[in-house]
Amino acid sequence: MSYGVTQEQEWNALSDEEFRALVRTEFETHHPRHLRFPPRRLRWAENGDWYLRMAAKGWIAPSWPREFGGMGLSPSKMLIFLEEQERCGIARFQDHGILMVGPVLIRFGTEAQRRRYLPPILACEEIWCQGYSEPNAGSDLASLRTEAAQEGDEFVIDGQKTWTTLAQDATHMFVLARSDKNAKKQEGISFLLLDIKAPGISVRPIRDIAGHEEFCEVFLDHVRTPASNLVGELNRGWTVAKSLLGFERIHIGSPKLPEYGLQVLRSVARQQGMLDDPVFRERLARLQLDVAHLGDIYGHFAAIVGRGEQLGPEVSLLKIWATETFQRIADLIIETAGDCGGHAGDVRMGDQSIDILAPFYKARPSTIYGGSNEIQRNILARQVLNLPG
Amino acid sequence: MSDDTLRMLRDSAADFAKLDPVRVRRFRNAHPGFDRSVWQQMADMGWLGVLIPEAHQGMGLGIGAAVIIAEQLGRALYPEPYCASAMLATLSLLHGDSEELKQRYLPQLNAGKLVAGLAWQGEGGGLDVAQCGVLAREHDGKFVLEGKSRFVEIPDADAFIVSARTAHGLELHWIARDAAGLACTPEPRADGSASALLSFDRVIASAATRVASASCALPALKLAVDYAVVGASAELLGIMDSALALTLDYLRTRVQFGKAIGSFQALQHRAVDLYIQKELSRAALESASATLADPSCTTEQRAAAASSVKARASQAALAICNEALQMHGAIGFTDEYDLGLYLNRALVVSAWLGNASAHRRRYSSILEAA
Repeated sequence: MSYGVTQEQEWNALSDEEFRALVRTEFETHHPRHLRFPPRRLRWAENGDWYLRMAAKGWIAPSWPREFGGMGLSPSKMLIFLEEQERCGIARFQDHGILMVGPVLIRFGTEAQRRRYLPPILACEEIWCQGYSEPNAGSDLASLRTEAAQEGDEFVIDGQKTWTTLAQDATHMFVLARSDKNAKKQEGISFLLLDIKAPGISVRPIRDIAGHEEFCEVFLDHVRTPASNLVGELNRGWTVAKSLLGFERIHIGSPKLPEYGLQVLRSVARQQGMLDDPVFRERLARLQLDVAHLGDIYGHFAAIVGRGEQLGPEVSLLKIWATETFQRIADLIIETAGDCGGHAGDVRMGDQSIDILAPFYKARPSTIYGGSNEIQRNILARQVLNLPG
Repeated sequence: MSDDTLRMLRDSAADFAKLDPVRVRRFRNAHPGFDRSVWQQMADMGWLGVLIPEAHQGMGLGIGAAVIIAEQLGRALYPEPYCASAMLATLSLLHGDSEELKQRYLPQLNAGKLVAGLAWQGEGGGLDVAQCGVLAREHDGKFVLEGKSRFVEIPDADAFIVSARTAHGLELHWIARDAAGLACTPEPRADGSASALLSFDRVIASAATRVASASCALPALKLAVDYAVVGASAELLGIMDSALALTLDYLRTRVQFGKAIGSFQALQHRAVDLYIQKELSRAALESASATLADPSCTTEQRAAAASSVKARASQAALAICNEALQMHGAIGFTDEYDLGLYLNRALVVSAWLGNASAHRRRYSSILEAA
């Protein structure tokens, strides 16, 4: 049983070109135009219909094995799928059920857990969010303090999670919680599944400086969850959480966001009559080269993933270069916009309406989340350059 | 101005202008975008008249006093439009050639009864004061104004001093906010304030509304803009100083990996670089103020000084606020924390009256022409 999902065909039997054309056609034909390249994360109310369509097609879990309801795409086909998604400006499904819970249950979970949780994820009936960061555990995530105490056939959880993406739209949450206070930091953590409607959970949206509410604080006050919701072994949750899939690690270093930034930059420059300015052209070329070489290096890491090989610690450089290049592009957009550079929302520039600050508000936090760039540099310094620590 | 007077003014300004984040947030997306009673308090202290000579009942203290006030207001993120009304608009009236309008309006501006905004840029913006977007056709002994003026501080002004092109050249006219044919569209900005896009549809002006005739409008505009550019730079200095102080505090207290993150050498070096930019901005401001205050200062020297400090302060403020955000991590990106207030305000003020790039270009033109 493949969890109620039937695939139209054996995708991996197609050539890469055939598969790409097929995926591109579906996206370009059916994805709503007004939802492409959104300036902020979209809510379920806005793009739920698209994901229901993907679910009905069996396309909601492209990376999962076919026997678990996924498309079973090979690594190279998976990359093509993601590339076409990005090319069309389709926002990635924020559902951590697809991104994390499914793969984690497939690898570490029990059969009962898979039977209970995979079908509603595949049908988009249950949406998951991730409870990792805490006010005192950001970069130092292993120092998290939310506790999970075992009481009979339940865990009781107390603590606070923060920066939980789109918890307002979630039905479930997975958390890392401390299940052994006496063990070393990383060795006393467990991975637990929660119903977000359970008594004791309160979700509070966080407003960001751009005025959006994409993240939440989640307060956990004596929240009970069955012991059967422990994933993997007790106190081995850190290992479970670290098992991020290859193409997830390179996704955050994709050149598509900086490339989109360059498009906005060119629009602004055109309206300002700057495309003929030699100073601007030189600065634009510098950024174009930064993005081109990002693409080259992304391709190198994508090929590793495409061959099914393991990524080494060098991949941290991708995240650093992609996010900081995007910031430089966003900064040049603001500078080129001149008197409009401090204006919010869609700004009239010549014959166009351009959201000048959207790339800026997207770029600024990107060097913080997903492992801050400082942490990424530490990883490179210690593990790649072998500098003493 | 003596050092003592300056110090007293700085102390009283710092004492008056304290950061009240609740008040700052309340004025976001609000119309009017500032508090008239606070404006009145500033008037009562004589602040609105520091650039008005004693002959017109002002304090005549000059640019040195204005930048002290502007810096403190910037430091506390005050939404009251000091640079825009008390500097930009007031100076364009003062350096015009209508004694009658000066007699009528300078006291009201000084007393805080009137707030005025200068409308001098066309839709494309830019620093060229000769490029305005409003035409004034002569008709029956009056002028009919048509066109648009953009990036006008303040959308809630009681009146606008409008730059318009007549057959004789550029003139400045005093147009009341409720003048027939005048539409004011607010354009929202990053900090929740708005600038105005003014549309003129057969708005009537006349010799009686003329603040500055063609013989003095251009020089008056250039002077007013240069002074306000320096004022905006002072505001940016206040913003960056506060943002840096907030960040240093955070670095000293935030603990991760068992240590205060301010003990990490990489962050210490970055913090030092921000401090250097802030000190350069302060020195540039002092130098520019001294240049403008010097009676022998030429128009080129004045423009170069203004561009010099605005280029530095705009760049430094953005660099400091952006780095401050990175050093704070995720909490700095929340609206609840105050850092975003500084960053968003820095975005606005660094772009107003010419950003760093525009002022570098202007500085270069002036130097190369000399």
